[in-house]
This record gives sequence, C-alpha cells and structure tokens, in this order.
Amino acid sequence: MIVRPFLLLLLAVVLAAPRVAAEPGVTDTEIVVGGSNSFSGPLAYTGEQITKFGVDLYFKVVNDAGGIHGRKVRAVYYDDGYRPQDAVANTKKLVEQDNVFAIIIPQGSPPVVATLEYLEQQKVPMLFPYQSSPVTRGRRYVFQGMTLSDRSSRMMIDYLAGTRKFKKFAALYQDDEYGKSFLAAFEKDLARYGLKLTATESVKRGVTDVSAQIAKLHAARPEVTFLVLVPGPAAHALRERQRIGWTDTLMVSTGPLTDEKYLALATDAANGVEGLSLWPDPMTSDLKGVQLYRAYMLKYFPKNEPNRYSLAGYFAGMLFTEAAMRAGRNLTRDSLVTALESIKGFETGILPPLTIGPDHETQKQGFWVRVEKGRFTPLTDWLKSE
Amino acid sequence: MRAAALAGGAVVVLGWPWAVPRYFVFLASLIAINAIVAIGLNLLTGYTNQLSFGHAGFLAIGAYAAALLTIQAPLVPLPLTLLAAGLVTAAVGLALGVPCLRLEGLYLAMATLAFGFVVVEAILNLDWLTRGNDGLRVPAARLGPWPLATDTSRYYLVVTVAALLIVAARNITSSRTGRALLALRESEIAAQASGVNLAAYKTLAFVVSAFYTGVAGGLFALVVGFLSPDSFDVFLSVDFVAMIIVGGLGSILGSVMGAAVITTLNDSLAGFQSYRPLIFGAILVASMLFMPGGIASALHRAQPRQGDRA
Repeated sequence: MIVRPFLLLLLAVVLAAPRVAAEPGVTDTEIVVGGSNSFSGPLAYTGEQITKFGVDLYFKVVNDAGGIHGRKVRAVYYDDGYRPQDAVANTKKLVEQDNVFAIIIPQGSPPVVATLEYLEQQKVPMLFPYQSSPVTRGRRYVFQGMTLSDRSSRMMIDYLAGTRKFKKFAALYQDDEYGKSFLAAFEKDLARYGLKLTATESVKRGVTDVSAQIAKLHAARPEVTFLVLVPGPAAHALRERQRIGWTDTLMVSTGPLTDEKYLALATDAANGVEGLSLWPDPMTSDLKGVQLYRAYMLKYFPKNEPNRYSLAGYFAGMLFTEAAMRAGRNLTRDSLVTALESIKGFETGILPPLTIGPDHETQKQGFWVRVEKGRFTPLTDWLKSE
Repeated sequence: MRAAALAGGAVVVLGWPWAVPRYFVFLASLIAINAIVAIGLNLLTGYTNQLSFGHAGFLAIGAYAAALLTIQAPLVPLPLTLLAAGLVTAAVGLALGVPCLRLEGLYLAMATLAFGFVVVEAILNLDWLTRGNDGLRVPAARLGPWPLATDTSRYYLVVTVAALLIVAARNITSSRTGRALLALRESEIAAQASGVNLAAYKTLAFVVSAFYTGVAGGLFALVVGFLSPDSFDVFLSVDFVAMIIVGGLGSILGSVMGAAVITTLNDSLAGFQSYRPLIFGAILVASMLFMPGGIASALHRAQPRQGDRA
C-alpha cells in the first residue's frame, strides 16, 4: 500500500527529467543561465535588483535585438535567503535539473564559497559573483565581479597615504570574510608607506549599534577612519560620530559600502564623508552607457528607480553577452571561458575600457567620491590598482 | 502484506540513484536527513508532549561537531565521527533537558526557541574554532577505503544510517520505555501513579531526541559540504515541527513522510521563498483541521480493514 505512491513518484520524476543537450543550457533557440541569490533575508533588495532588474534588463534588450547568434537568452533564479545550504541545493538544481549553461552573479561570500568547489568540479562557469573577498580567485571557471578587496585597498591607500599624505589610520570593520580581507589588505598597503592601522574595532554581523566602538576609535584620534561595514551599522557609525561631535577624522567607506542605501540611512550625518566608488552615479552620470541603462530601465521597468545594484547586474549581462557573441554560434562552456579571457579594451560606456585576461577580474578600478548634499560627487578620475 | 511493503520500499530506496536524475539523489539524501531529525523530534513531541522549537540548534551542534572532527582528526573513522556528533549533541540535550523539566507547553517552546538562538550566537562567537559568519568548508569524508565523493555514495551512507535509526526508534517505542513515554503523554499523574519515573523518562526523551538530531547534523555536514550559522535559523526548527505535524505525531512512518513532503515542498518553492511562510502556514492549519493525526493516520484510515496491518 505504501509502495505505490513511491513508485508513482519515481515514475513521475523519471518522465519529468529533461533530455540532456549537447552543451548544457544551449539549444538551437535558447541559452539558459541561472543563479542562486537572495530574494529574502538581509540582502533581498540587492538580490532582486542585480538579477531581475539588472541581468534580466540587459537580456531583454539583447533578446529584442535578435538574441545572441540567433538564440534568446534567459535566466532562472532561486532564492537562498543568504543561507549557504540553500545556495548549494539551488546550485545543484540549476546545474543538474535546469541544465544551466553558467551561473551568473550569485551574491554574498558564504553562499558563493559554499558552491565554489562543486561548480569547479562540474566545469560550470561561475560568472561575476557579487562579493569582494579574494577567496574566489585563481579558478579556471570563475570570473570575478565586484572589485576584490586587495585591489580596492591599494587604490584607497595609494590615494590617501600617497596623494593626500594622511598618516594616522583606523578601521571599523565587520567581523567576517568581507571585513577581515579588507583589514589584511590595508595593513599590507600601509606597510608600503611605513604606516600601520593605529586602531581597529570589529562589529559582528547583524549588529547595528556601534556606539562603543566609535567611542574607542575616537579616543585613538585617527586622521582617517575606514568603514568596512554594511549600510545599517555604517549609517549608525556616522550618526554616532555626529552625536558625540567627533569632527577631526575623515570617514571613508569601502567600495561595497559606497551606495545609495547607505546615504539614505545616514542622511545629513553623511555629509563630507568620502569613499571609493566602484560605479558611476546611476542616477546622474552622463556616461553614454549609463544613459542607455537609464533609458532601458525606463522602457522595461518604468517603476524601478536606477541604482548601482541593478547597474551591476546589467553590466554582468552585458559582459556575458559580449563573451557569448565572441564565442560564436558553437557556444560551449570552454569557448565562453576562452572568449572572456580574450576581452581586451572593451568599451562598455560604464566603466573604463575593460581587459580581462588570465587574472579573470572584470572590475579593477574605482574613483574617489565625497558626499555633498546627499549625493556622491567625484573627486578623482578612475584610480589605478595595478 | 507488511513484508511486501517493506521489500518494495527497500527496492525503491536502493534503486533510487539508478532510476532518477542526479539532483533527486541529493534531494533524497536531504529527505533522509530530515527524516532522522523528524523521528528524533517525534520521540520528544509525539511521545512525551514536549514541544521543541530548538532542533535547528541540535542539528547545528551535530553538524559542527562532525565537521570539526573531520577537519582536526581526519583519521577517525566516519561511523565514529557520526557517533561522536550524536553523543556531543545528546550531552547538550541532557544539559537542556534537565532544567526544562520544570517547563511545560508554551514555556518549554520558548525556552527551546531561545536555545536555538543561543547556539547560533555561540557559533558566531567561537569564530576561532567555527570560522563564524564566514562558514566552514567540510572536507570530503572517507568510509574505510571508499571516498564519499559523489552524491550517490553519500546517499547510500545516509539511507543506511537512517534505516538503522528507524529500526532503533521502533525498538524504543515498542519497548517498556516507549510505553512509559506514551503513558506520560496521556496523563503524567496517572503514569507517575503507575510507577513511571517522570523526570527520568522526560530527560531520556530529550537526550535520545538530541542524539538523533546530532547524527543527522553530522550527515548534513557531509552532504551539504559547507556550514554557516545562517543555515540553522529558527525557520529550520519550525520546518521540523511542521514535518511531524504534517506527517503524524507519535508515528515513525509519519515522520519520514512529513520530512519527504516538507523537504520536497521547500525545494519546489526555491524560486519564491517569500511565499513560504504563507504556504506552510496554510498547510499546517489544513492538516490540523482535516488530518489531525497527520499523513500516517490518514493512510491508516484509508487502508482496507484487515486483521493485521502495517
């Protein structure tokens, strides 16, 4: 009696299984990519923007223009809510059930790291993970998305210690891979100038009250205080500094932090704060690529305001399309990797001309901004991280 | 009749990896792991009426214990690692169970809920050992000469352990201990009057339940390959409770079915987790209203009347 439902289930499963194509995810008419991302949990807004309003926005543009060598491109997403075990299950499902060609823009270090080994084993490309820790470096099938922390650090220290001649640095950092990888890179780059961090304070993830840490850092009297945090606690740090009247330090945000949400949360406490920006201003930049992005957003998702998360996803869609175009009609995972490695001086109209090469890094530069009247005002041109 | 059902079930379980696409092998492993937890939870809730919303915490302890043992002492044979994961968790279960003797119903649920949060905080703050928020990668284990590198090999390990624990649970429930636990559920006063030691049996239920969940945690670490405190949130504990309510309180077969239903449902809802609480809530309410004994008793009732039934 109990056996029959099981057998029926078994039969249903076998019949429902899709036929395996020559190259997974590529048919005569379609290319399917996918990703596990946060659509619930702490990074839900970011996740939704980078995928459904970012990658998919660019894919809509491409498909309306005839697709990639006659194939439409489509993305499948599953929600992991920032939980690594769900990311593992989702990724297995994408690769083994949905037969995706590649994984695109998964978010957050723990979920990304949890799937790294498996994807490399299966030889499935992991494209442009949205996280900044260098743990993803040095793999054949992984291409970095966000500027990695050591490159960010080099630009920040060269600018602050080199160009601006600051001498006394402190850092308030999130106590995880994101924060610690930045801290290590700061120490290394400061050492080149014969300097070191004079004070560091850590914040556990999920904590929003950082007043104790701000008081301790205040006592150390640094000229520059790095904020290696996420928007919530970072905004609290700025408001707390305002409350205790600590004015003689320059607060500096890292690349992943310099975003509109952080500004909106900190309101007037953010005035005069500086930071490294990894993207041109999505709302106001007159760069050709960013104007086009805004125009497409208005056309396809008129209710969604432009922001740097959807811009990052849009950019990921653009890079994938460029590589798949270069790989030609005979698209395979290996030919995609070769095509990505061959990209040189590619004009995106959003970031400086892009060269990927054997280091597999797609974003290597940022520029310096200062918050004035609630917006990021550029202070420099693109900085170098080589 | 019963032998045929068992034989059929065994054929399905053993033949599963060869008949279905690869992903369903992984999914079946998860179902088996959740089934072990559900049986453990059912021994506590279904048999002694102690509700726990902290089983994600026990699962985390078992998972981290097994992972850390695999990393620090790779030479320890896998069965011992799993056993150790179960024993460590059982010890924690004992430590939690004794003070919880004073609590009942809602208060017990709250205490166990808090326990789940405490475990997650402990993992975060022991980051020199657990790598905190960054998560812990679990190296592939070996069973004697065989590396457990594929989903299929891990599946066979998981179902073997699950089968052993199911047999053990059947033996516990049909023994003197099981009857004592049931007596406690029905009426604590009556049970005590008949000579059942309330404190000892309630604590025993906690310890056994924690042991089952700890072993499941060890298997979870192996199958998923990556642990992080984010994995063991309160929603996972709620999922476990949902499994035994949907499956059937006080039924081992029901625990397995509840685990299968909830795990499969979770998997098919992977695209829209925002609706999960809504759908799960509806299922819970519906099964309490229309199927108070869970799937197990619904099946039982649907069966044709015969002398001896499974």
